[in-house]
This record gives sequence, structure tokens and C-alpha cells, in this order.
Amino acid sequence: MPRHRDEDEDEDDMEPEEDEYDPDQGLIDEDEEEEEEEPRGKGRERSSQKRRRSSYIDDVAEEDDEEEEDDDDDEEYGAYTGGSRSKKQKRKKPSGAQFLDIEAEVDSDEEEEEDEGDDDFFVETGADIPEEGDGRRIHHRPPSIMEDQEQEDVEDLERRIQERYARQHHTEYAEETTDVDQQALLPSVLDPKLWMVKCAIGKEREVAACLMQKYIDKPELNIRSAIALDHLKNFIYVEAEKEAHVREACKGLRNIFLQKVGLVPIREMTDVLAVESKAIEISRDTWVRMKIGIYKGDLAKVVDVDNVRQRVTVKLIPRIDLQALANKLEGREVVKKKAFVPPPRFMNIDEARELHIRVERKRDQMTGDYFETIEKMMFKDGFLYKVVSMKSISTQNIHPTFDELEKFRKPGENGEGDVASLSTLFSNRKKGHFVKGDAVIIIKGDLKNLKGRVEKVEEGTVHIRPDMKDLPKTLAVNEKELCKYFEPGNHVKVVSGTQEGATGMVVKVDNHVLIILSDTTKEHLRVFADDVVESSEVTSGITKIGEYELHDLVLLDNNSFGVIIRVETEACQVLKGVPERPEVALVKLREIKCKIDKKLSVQDCYKNTISVKDVVRVIDGPSKGKQGPVEHIYRGVLFIYDRHHIEHAGFICVKSLSCRVVGGSRANGDRNGDTYSRFDQLRAPPAIPQSPRRFARGGPPNNFGGRNRGGRGHDGLVGTTVKVRQGDYKGYRGRVVEVKGTSVRVELESQMKVVTVDRNCISDNVAITTPYRDTSSYGMGSQTPIHPSRTPLHPYMTPMRDAGATPIHDGMRTPMRDRAWNPYAPMSPARDSWEEGNPGSWGSSPQYQPGSPPSRTYEAPTPGSGWANTPGGNYSEAGTPRDSTGYANAPSPYLPSTPGGQPMTPNSASYLPGTPGGQPMTPGTGLDMMSPVIGGDNEGPWFMPDILVNVRNSGEETTGVVREVLLNGSCRVALGSGASGETVTVLPNEMEVVEPRKNDKIKIMGGSLRGATGKLIGVDGTDGIVKVDDTLDVKILDLAILSKLAQS
Amino acid sequence: MRNAAQPAQIPTSFGNELRACLRCRLVKTYDQFRENGCENCPFFKMEEDSDLVNEGTTPNFNGIISVMDSDRSWAAKWLRISRFVPGCYTLAVSEALSEDLQNICEDERVQYVPPKRV
Repeated sequence: MPRHRDEDEDEDDMEPEEDEYDPDQGLIDEDEEEEEEEPRGKGRERSSQKRRRSSYIDDVAEEDDEEEEDDDDDEEYGAYTGGSRSKKQKRKKPSGAQFLDIEAEVDSDEEEEEDEGDDDFFVETGADIPEEGDGRRIHHRPPSIMEDQEQEDVEDLERRIQERYARQHHTEYAEETTDVDQQALLPSVLDPKLWMVKCAIGKEREVAACLMQKYIDKPELNIRSAIALDHLKNFIYVEAEKEAHVREACKGLRNIFLQKVGLVPIREMTDVLAVESKAIEISRDTWVRMKIGIYKGDLAKVVDVDNVRQRVTVKLIPRIDLQALANKLEGREVVKKKAFVPPPRFMNIDEARELHIRVERKRDQMTGDYFETIEKMMFKDGFLYKVVSMKSISTQNIHPTFDELEKFRKPGENGEGDVASLSTLFSNRKKGHFVKGDAVIIIKGDLKNLKGRVEKVEEGTVHIRPDMKDLPKTLAVNEKELCKYFEPGNHVKVVSGTQEGATGMVVKVDNHVLIILSDTTKEHLRVFADDVVESSEVTSGITKIGEYELHDLVLLDNNSFGVIIRVETEACQVLKGVPERPEVALVKLREIKCKIDKKLSVQDCYKNTISVKDVVRVIDGPSKGKQGPVEHIYRGVLFIYDRHHIEHAGFICVKSLSCRVVGGSRANGDRNGDTYSRFDQLRAPPAIPQSPRRFARGGPPNNFGGRNRGGRGHDGLVGTTVKVRQGDYKGYRGRVVEVKGTSVRVELESQMKVVTVDRNCISDNVAITTPYRDTSSYGMGSQTPIHPSRTPLHPYMTPMRDAGATPIHDGMRTPMRDRAWNPYAPMSPARDSWEEGNPGSWGSSPQYQPGSPPSRTYEAPTPGSGWANTPGGNYSEAGTPRDSTGYANAPSPYLPSTPGGQPMTPNSASYLPGTPGGQPMTPGTGLDMMSPVIGGDNEGPWFMPDILVNVRNSGEETTGVVREVLLNGSCRVALGSGASGETVTVLPNEMEVVEPRKNDKIKIMGGSLRGATGKLIGVDGTDGIVKVDDTLDVKILDLAILSKLAQS
Repeated sequence: MRNAAQPAQIPTSFGNELRACLRCRLVKTYDQFRENGCENCPFFKMEEDSDLVNEGTTPNFNGIISVMDSDRSWAAKWLRISRFVPGCYTLAVSEALSEDLQNICEDERVQYVPPKRV
């Protein structure tokens, strides 16, 4: 009521009055929701005012509704609602009526008008009014006999009318049930509650009926109703005021279990009663699916419906194991294989006969058709005809696939039946399916195959203008007898089904199936004619899924990446970045991690720079000979768009090194110095962190073997001590004397001879090198960037860093360096990158000149072991997740190199012994600058110090604690869960991370939090919920990157 | 006051023979309908013609609610069956009355609201 007043034009008129009476009233105005129950005291005082006010109120009926919704009592203000409110009180709480000062006249007048629509009230008025009227008069008005009698008259009349039209008011259906009306019935606190009671499974209905019977026998029971839902087994609901009433009523009934009686929250009460009334419309030729038995999920076609017995006859492709059947019939032992469902196959009667299965030919009395009968199963034309209950088939949302329909098309059957059955598919189509102007064809009846254009659409009937001349202007045709019609050459758009949104040209019409050449993918799509509309629109179908668009390069959940080559309604197809073979995955939106939008450049096989949009030719691998512009570059993989390539939307995924830039030179590649200078600024810094990743992905290192790197590349390996992993010299250790392409000449320590082995077959971490030792101690122990402890190399590094690098770099890269990088001093990677790949770049940047005498100067002889180790230990110890984010965000051109520290470990794990030279090589490859974040959680396993691992050693498994991670991925592992046993070196494939359980202390092995420790506080599927020690943040991380931390 | 109303027959079995009146949603067995008709819809005169039972009732319904105290039951009010005699009802039927029976309703000045189609 107050709201009405607010809205009322007359508000101004009324305001003075209000103010005069009650300052509180403002509150009411604002807060109508709370008003509800009758005010006891104040109401009376304000009676006169109220009466006056009621004349302003013209929207009484509506008010009434609102009141019913309001459940909370607000003692103060209810009275303002005047006449209309009183009705409610009468209904609900007659006791409040005495405070109502509204005259009975008003009441009954209003009632008569309003209650046409509210019979609930209407019926009760007869009984209620007299008593209330009394109360009212006693308190508020000198009883007026005249009025009283008038009142009685009215009531009398009312009652008579009511009797006359009793039936009309008998039902609440009397009025159109609008949503608003239904809203008014929402349960309130005053209504009885629903209690959930357990009962025997399958006895739900019976229990409900038993309660009914019990109530009839003992009407003193205080329950209102009992509800058994079909979809809720094992429970019924009982409506009652109190739990005790429920218990009382259910006492002594078998099938009801009273251990627990649960209250249904008031909000959920309506949900209990919300049952969608599913319209079951089964007619002949409807496609259905079986719900139970061995045919569960199979498509079936209704051939007959028995509505009375609720049975349908369906036609199925039989799943019958004839041999088993024969065995059974001959009384032989049948080996029952559970869970074996014979594949669907048409029944071959001759075959059955050959197996001596008795086949009878019978005539069905109902249809007059002949059936082959085997063991009471009826077959016809190879199909099984089965009588099933209507409840055992599902009829809704049956969308047979083409394959299924094709299978159903019996061999030798002409298109006839198919059309008919297809047409039944259309019976479920939405309204507004046909629009004016659609080309249609009649598929049933005497006008079959008549084509025309839609003129007008009515419910169920479509008026078409036939194409034939001699026919009347328009014909009215049942919607179900029509199908859209297209001709080859039409340009159409798919408006429903899985291909929704695609456009293309019709290239073939096969009955009601169109073959469309998609505009986007250039693929052939098969769609139902019914699902398309003619359209000149050329879209790529849906081109967006979430924030991703067609042809975007995206990073996926499992750290693979690829280009979106097709977008469907809920998923997209991604051509994965696997160069060896085209791999397409269907990816859901949530499986896409992020879009990769980086402008990178890489080198082709001749060390020419490839940037996006450069045209390259594939000179190697399965896609050899293809040519096109580069669309994306990522992790050394190019996505080339070749418009002559039909598959995968024209995209080809190749390794950059299998390509040649068209028009690029092949000469300069071997003189790296020159080459680099061309593009170093962009590329060189990232090189280092990149490399590990490349290896991780399994790119054979030999691709860029010695050749790429030119002379200096050899240095990385030459002189190092390596171990031969494979081949005749497996296990031998030696010093590399020369690197030749993919092979390495190694001087064996034990044999005093030089042998040639494949690069893949050596591992270049050999535990004896000093640097490694020191480094680890450095890594584990001190986190300070004190280089002296880092033995041989570091001395070199420091000067350069101080003198040369720092000054300039501060400018460009300080932010992140200071924050994330410096403390742990993994400068080494950076240094390497300069040393290896970068001279040019630095040379090209003037500021650097003065300070960088160096790049050549400190040419560390063993750069590989030098730095690769350190960061590993380092970083993990450090436990700062910030690093990566720091890199990722910092805008400095330098930054890509910084992550060096971070991806270290992944690389070490992933370079597996096979890629010894890999890491020092990197700069040469200089692939791309990926975000270190990505690199960080790249591939697993990423072993880290202090984690528990299971070591498989000659068949037995022992637990151990990783002490340090060697640069080839092997780990030094202290055996025993307490790390008490001996320390051995274990290859990564010989061990696996111990999966943490709930409440375990864990270490994070990947992602931005790599290295951090925490506690696993929960597991959700493949995700672990981790409370990070440092920040106390709770993170949800993939379990795969979590490892159990050794007890320290 | 209507508490005194004679409750409808209670279904005697719970198998496939249960049917629900398409107008008032009362649930009884086929035989009960055939012999006694529908307590809420006597004008259908199902007891006089068993074909009318087939016409006016359906075996396809969803859920059962036993309404004991139709006046005071919220569920009955919500389902708009509180005006009917106590008895077993169904929460929802999916089919509509045939036109003939709808005409009867009209003649009897009984409103009939067909189930809403989803």
C-alpha cells in the first residue's frame, strides 16, 4: 500500500496527513515488504486516517497479492493497508480482525468485486464474516443493526450465488493461472512444512496411499498431505506442522522408516512439487531410444502403439548372438559372459537356420504381416520387432545421427521409408520453423514431391504457393508433411544441430540430407535440409568460442597448444602443435588455458628468420612441399596457412627447422655471427629459457646440432665429460673431442680410444664434474647470489655482470630482475645467452657496447653444466613463485632471458639423457620467446629437491628423497622415506613422484608457484587444493604438479 | 468445514492400472474409475461408460500426492487441488482432456485448464 501511495500522483495531497499522524510512516513507505500482520494498538488509533486513505487506494486487488507474499510480520504497519488487508486477516487470523476498523460495507463491496478472481476467499467469506463483523463492531463502532442486516443480506445473497455456481468456484482452475497467482501461493512460515521421510524403495506411492487411508480412519492425525515423487526413490514427503505429527502419522506403518525425518527448507518446497509434465507423444514412425536392457541407447523406430496397455512395438537392429542362441536351444551349456553385448547386426534367417535354430513363420494377427519367429522374438527384414513398455523408451530429444539412420536403412530398401521416417524427425521441430519465402517440398500424401514457397504460416499449417502452374494459388499443408527444399548451388546457413551457425553452398541434395561445402572449413558437411535456411550470409559459422576466435593459437590444459581450426557450439577443434603428424583434438572451452598472442620469430633450417606472415616452404617431413604464410609461431613450431591445403582449415603444423623462408638465403646460416645480428634483439635473450622447452617437447636435438650453431656450438660439448647411454659403448665415460653434426666423437676414459657415437646416445651430465658439486651446494645452501661459491665459471660472470651488464640493463630490465631474479643470482642463464647467441644483439645496442667487452671473453668451457644445475637447485630452494610472474609482466625486452632460473628444472627433467648438447645450443635455435610461465609448467615430471619419489630399481620399488636434480634430469636420490639410505643417481624414468594425499606437505613442481611448499588440504578430481606456506593462499592446482614433500 | 467432505476412493493397487483424471488429477485404479467415476468430476459420468474412463483418465502421470486436509495443505493449494475432495492425486498430467470432455466442462461451467506444454 505505501508503495502505491508513493507511486500515486496524489502523493502530495496525502503527505500532510501522513506527517501529521506518524513520523514512522516514512519507514513504511520505504519498506513495504515487511508489512504484514495486523497492528494491535496503533492501527486503531489511526483508523480514521486509514479510512480516508483507503479511498486513495485504487489498486486493492494487487495489494492483496503482495500481502500474501509477505511473510514476515511487522506488527507496526499492517493496518495501513486498509480494507483489502482485512480480508487477508480474516482468512488467516481472524483474531486480528477486531482491530480492523474498516466497515463491513467496504469489505463486502470489495470482496464482491475482487473475489471473482479469488474464490479461495470467496468460499470462506460466508463463514467468516459474521463473527468478524461482530468483533469489529464491538470495538470500533457502535453496532448498527441496519448495517448488520445489510451485511447479512449480502452474505446471504453471496451464499446463494455461491451455491448456484458452486461448481464454478469449486476448483481453483476457475481462473487462468498466471505466474503471479502462483507466486501468491508460495509457502510462508505459516504454512505447514514438508518433511522428508525414508521409506522402502518402490513403495513410495503405496506409502503415500497408506497414509491417506490411515488419515481417513483416524482423522485426528495432523498431517496435511503425503507426496511420492516418481523420480525420488526411497523417500516420501509428508506435509505437517510439526515433526511429531509426521512421526505420529507414520507410526506403525511398515515400509516407512522413521529414523530420520528431514525438514525441507521453505525455499525448496516448491521444487519438490515442480514436476515437468512431459508430454509423451508416441506415434508410429517416431524415433525413440531404448532405455534399458542390452538395447539401451539404441535407436528404435515405433511401428505400433498400444495406448491402452501402454505398450509400443519398436523396430530395432537386433543384438543377438546366434551361436549362443543355438547353443541354448540345443540345451548345451551356455557360458554366460556378463557385460557382453552382441553388436547390432541384422538378423540373417538363413544363418540362423544353418545353426539349426528353429525359425517359424507366423502371421501377426494385428497387422497381418508375416514375421520370422525365433524363440518368441519376431524378425522381419532383419529387424527385430519388440514389444516394450512405453516407460522403457525415451522419446524426447532423440537426435539420430546420420550413421544410425543409415544403418537403419535396411539393405535394399528404397528411399521411400527413409523419407517417411525422416519426416518424423521433423515432428519435434520448433515453432516458427518455416518462414515466408522458404522453398519447401511436400513429403507425404497425394501432393508428395510438390514444391512450393511458403506463403503464410499458421499453427501447424503452412500455406504454400505451389510451383506448378495449374494448381490453386495457395495450398494449406500440415507442417509435418513439409520439408525444406534446397537445390545444389543454394547458399545456406545451418540454423540448428551440431553444425549450427555454419554457412556454405549446397553441393548435393540427397533426399533430405544436404551436403554443404562449408565456407569456413571448406569441408563437406552433412546436414538435414530441415536444419538450414537459405542465406547469402557468409560466416565462418561460429567464429568465437568464449574469448577465443577461429584461427587463434591457444594453449591447452595439458600444455599442448594448437590453432583453433573449427568452432562448434560448445567446443572447438584444435590442430595441435605436433609437427610429426596432424593431430586434431576436440577441445572444450574450459580446456583452453589462454590465447597465445606473441609475435615471435624463429629460424628456418638455413637460419633465416621466420616471423609471422613470412611465406615459408616446407622442405622436410610429412607436409613437405606445402607453402604458405606463417600464421603462428610457438615453441619452434610454425602454423602455416596453405590455402590449397584442404584439411584442418588450411593449417599445417611444422617445425620451423623443416621450413625454408621463401626468398630467404641459405648461405648465411653457418656464420652465425652475422645472422644473429639481424634479429638478435628480438630473439636472443629468450633463447636460453626456450631451449629446455624445446627438448621437453621432444624435438630431436640433432636438428640443430653442430651445424646450426656454427663453430661455437661445439664448444658447449667439446671438452665435457659425457657418458654414453646407448649402443656398443653404453656406460662408457669419456671426453668429447669433436662434434660432427649429429654424432660426437668421444675419447673414452677407460679404453684410450676415440669413438663416434650419436649425440642422442650420450648424456653430458657426469657426476664427477666439480662445478656441479659446488653448484648444488650453492643452490641448496645459500640463497645469496654470492658467486664465488660457484666455482669455475662464476668469476667470469661476475665482472661482466657488474661492469657491463648491470648498468645498462638496469634501465631496461631492472624491475623484474631486482624483484624476481637477482636474489637467487641465476644470472648464469642470461650470461649464457649472451655468450652464446647474443653477441650481436648486444653489439647492436649502443649502450651496451662499453660494458660488454665480454661476450667472447667469458666463454666458459662448460657452460652447460655450469648453469643448468644451479638454477635447478636454486630455484626450488628459493621457493618464490614471483619469479615467473615477474617475467611475464615486465615489459623489458630483456626479460625473456630472465626466466632462465625457472624453467631450468623442467628442462633438466625433460632433456633426458638424450639431449646432451641441447642446452648450450639453444641460443642458436633461438626459437621464440615464450612466456616463462608457460615454460614453467610445461612437461612433467619435474623433479625437485626434497620431494618423495618412488624409485623403481630392478623391479622393486623403494621410496627416496630427491636430493638434487642433475642437469640431464637424473636425480640424486637418498633412498628410504627418511632419506636415511644411500644416495644414488636415478634416471627420471626410473622414478616417479609420490602422489600426495590430503593433509600431506607438498611441494609444487610446476606453474607459477613452482618450488613453493604447502599443504594439500583437499583433492578434487585431478585438482589439489593447496595452502601455500609462504603466502597462506589457497590455490587449486593440478595434482600432477604436486609432490609429496619429504619429512625434514 | 470441508474437512467433512467424503474422501475419494483410495487406490487399491499401485501397478499399471493406476490412472489419473485428466481434469482434477485424482488417481485411482482403472476399475475404481469404471465403477465409481471420479469424485470431483461426476459430470463426466465415467461410471456409466467405461470408454469415458479411457478418455478422461490417463496412465501417464507423474508423482502422487495424498491430500488429507485439503484446506490446510500448502501443497494442495500450490497444486491447485485444494478444492477437491481429499484423496490421492497426481502432481501433473501431461495430456489434455479431449474436446468432447472439454465441452462437457464448459456445459457444466467447470473451468478446465489444460496442462502447460513445456
